Amino acid sequence: MTNDTNQLDEPLHWGAAFFGWICPGLGQIMLGHRQRGFLAMTGILGLFLCGIFIGGVDCVDRREDPLWFYAQAGSGPIAFAADWANSGLLKTGKVGELIESPPSNPRAPAPLVSSFKTVTVASEIGTLYCALAGLMNVVVLLDALKRRPIDKSQANEGVTT
Amino acid sequence: MILTIVDPISLLGWIPFLQPAGALGNLWWLLMIPLILGISIAYRATHDASIDQFWQRVFMFVSKSTLAMGSLALVMYLFVYWVIPILRTT
Repeated sequence: MTNDTNQLDEPLHWGAAFFGWICPGLGQIMLGHRQRGFLAMTGILGLFLCGIFIGGVDCVDRREDPLWFYAQAGSGPIAFAADWANSGLLKTGKVGELIESPPSNPRAPAPLVSSFKTVTVASEIGTLYCALAGLMNVVVLLDALKRRPIDKSQANEGVTT
Repeated sequence: MILTIVDPISLLGWIPFLQPAGALGNLWWLLMIPLILGISIAYRATHDASIDQFWQRVFMFVSKSTLAMGSLALVMYLFVYWVIPILRTT
């Protein structure tokens, strides 16, 4: 009970949480938990980059898949960078080519989509990887928000705390 | 269920990070393992009070989760291919 009360009295580390969003794991590193931060960074960035590797940048799409993007945005600016790459490279036809796709409304002109856009299992799995990376980073952010910082003199103990 | 081997020819035109990997065949479900690995690394890094024996704990987490998901898949397979046909014939 005493520990719970002490934990509730701990100040919230908003700065660490913010920097943890900018770069996953950075919040823990700022609080002195270097090893913990680097491990969290490995997990989250690994998940996100695996997602892009499997599904291509098309699996992060702020306009077409906004609900997925809300989860993916948890992993920070890297999600916005992937969305920017998707809209700047694929959707403009700078990479690949734009081809006509069947319109949902027969009277409307056929929309142009990138030839790299697919609806394969790989694309769905890539979307899932990136979304789970974002959601796990929210867990890591919440941890940074409440984690007790360690003194620099005790930095070596950060390995075990 | 027939497993298809990853087709190396279709990998030749693949541009990683821009195009989806199209040569997964029926082995796409194996991607569950790196997914669980990434989740377990991030989870164990924040959840455990101590990060001693970190990789052993990650390995146990991945093993248990993979076994649990595999068991669920097996149950679903038996239900769809055995139980439902029996229900239809009775």
